[in-house]
Amino acid sequence: MKHIWFIMIKDLKLFSKDRMALFFFILFPFIFVIAFSFIMGDLGAEDQRLTLNVTSLEEEGGISYQIIEAIETEDESVLEPGEPIISWDVDYDEAHQAVEDGELGGLLVFPEDFTDGIYQSSGTELTVVVNPDAINTYAALSGLAHSIATRVNSQWVAASATIELLIAEGLLDPTDSEAIEEVMEGILSGQNVSEGQSAIVLATESVGEVEPVNAANFIIPGYLVMFVFFAAALGAEIIVRERQNHTLERLLASSVRRWSILGGVFAGTAAKGVVQITVFWVVGILAFGIDLGVSPAAVVILSVLMVVVSAAFAIMLAALVKTRRSAGSLAVLAALILAPLGGCWWPLFILPSWMQFLAKLTPHGWAMIGFNKLMLFGAEFGDVVTEMLVLLGFAVVFAVIGIWRFRTSAV
Amino acid sequence: MLKPFLIAKNLHKSFNSRKAVDRVSFSIRKGEIFGLLGPNGAGKTTTIRILSTVLEPDRGDVIIGGYSIRRNPDAVRRLIGVCPQELALYEELSAIDNLVFFGRMVGLSGSEAKAQAVARLKLVGLTGRAKGRVDKFSGGMKRRVNLAVSLMGHPKLLFMDEPTVGIDPQSRNRIYRTIERLRDRGMTILYTTHYMEEANRLCDRVAIIDAGRIIAMDTPLALRSRIGPPEQVTLEDVFLKLTGRRLRD
Repeated sequence: MKHIWFIMIKDLKLFSKDRMALFFFILFPFIFVIAFSFIMGDLGAEDQRLTLNVTSLEEEGGISYQIIEAIETEDESVLEPGEPIISWDVDYDEAHQAVEDGELGGLLVFPEDFTDGIYQSSGTELTVVVNPDAINTYAALSGLAHSIATRVNSQWVAASATIELLIAEGLLDPTDSEAIEEVMEGILSGQNVSEGQSAIVLATESVGEVEPVNAANFIIPGYLVMFVFFAAALGAEIIVRERQNHTLERLLASSVRRWSILGGVFAGTAAKGVVQITVFWVVGILAFGIDLGVSPAAVVILSVLMVVVSAAFAIMLAALVKTRRSAGSLAVLAALILAPLGGCWWPLFILPSWMQFLAKLTPHGWAMIGFNKLMLFGAEFGDVVTEMLVLLGFAVVFAVIGIWRFRTSAV
Repeated sequence: MLKPFLIAKNLHKSFNSRKAVDRVSFSIRKGEIFGLLGPNGAGKTTTIRILSTVLEPDRGDVIIGGYSIRRNPDAVRRLIGVCPQELALYEELSAIDNLVFFGRMVGLSGSEAKAQAVARLKLVGLTGRAKGRVDKFSGGMKRRVNLAVSLMGHPKLLFMDEPTVGIDPQSRNRIYRTIERLRDRGMTILYTTHYMEEANRLCDRVAIIDAGRIIAMDTPLALRSRIGPPEQVTLEDVFLKLTGRRLRD
């Protein structure tokens, strides 16, 4: 164990004397983070709310009017962070033209037969008119439409059950369609709901997921995963350098075991990674106001596991290649392929399912799923245990390959 | 006659189909400087790698200080020091940091490592540059640091693989003097070189190796006597006669 410690200290000493390495290790990642925070429009900017436009083709007095009145934003100041503004566009043609012209991102349209479709159980269709460039608006409007449909359907079921009950009890004549319609309208419009409540409530959580409150909550973990892996993978050069500088031969001829040499390099690489994640989180919290979610311990453990995986990958890479150039090239290649594939550059949940599947083949993907759960969706420690175990699995596989290959490789 | 400190028995080592070391056997007595001479690619470095436990032989064994490199490599490693042909140093670190690090690697305590590092730097004439970064040193100074590192831990047997390659006469002379002082202290040394005058000056016995096989082994004087009057014949004459004049690389 002493040898591992001395080798680790030696590697850290060498690292501290390399100014370029320090630059790429600490400062360079933050140049990326700052640049991408600006691109995503979140750094130092006011909370830019998403505006969702809604319109109806119905005659005045239909149920759609009551729904829109219930969800329309009257006072922006009472909205929660991330909650969208719901705006009522009375003139459908004008609003549709605004979407076509790119002035509006999208529009949720209630059809002219909305009320009839509900009363007569013939079904009705909400339409989302969308500008193809406005992905977030489309996602939010779809969520809103889904929420309205779900709510109306449940109210309709309740209304039907009430009418059945009234008829069974002899309180309503089944042939009196006017009386039935009156009861139905009463329930659907919310007359049976206590004061202060609305029959139609907009669930804004899904909108929040599409548009994170603070983009840095995604950007910082993404670049942390990418650069921790990148820096560690470049650590593969350490063993190759030991081999090429013949210090490995000298170490092997002393009383140092091969596994101690690997252990020392692993520990040194991991120690650098721990410094890196500490800087990332401290700067992230202080400068970018990121929120570690309800379980900061899980965020820390996930970060440390990513460091362990990356150091183990470095060991494997070092044992597989012969020259520093190939070690460096493969490290860069692996980092640049695995980072986007694993969702470090864009949220995995906006990607098609086949890309989400590919992400799960990479440690980056599992780390990012864990970070997104914790920092965007409010998950707790227990929700990311699977991600932690998978990362540990990756580390074990990489380390076993590295140790096996290093044992049998020539100096 | 002194008991052999190193006995190499019928060593074989091949890389793919090429025989790098072929039936090599020799012994080195305690306190002796034994020269291993040969053209490029003759098998000198491979032999030293086997003797220093870095490479495992395909066949044969080596006994050093009573321990087999196959059965007790750790015990062997505690007896040996290796001064490789190439500079095996961390050039971004200072001379003393290199010595202390490798001292810890051979099992010295922190204070022992520091004390030995200071003594070794004095031995090679680098006391005043102890804290200088190795990458700022001249080639000769680096060679002397390389030698100093190999002496950490008081090895009983020192393998020196062409320790004077590419350095100026002053540094070379300093290394010769260091080696002679080590011999005077009773250290056993296996020395490889291309410089025949070095072997003639330093070595008690030499073995000439070519194509992985030892083709002659004796004292420099006895080898010179094989081809003529020793006062008129140099070791280089013997070497060229035995190994031929064909270029090897």
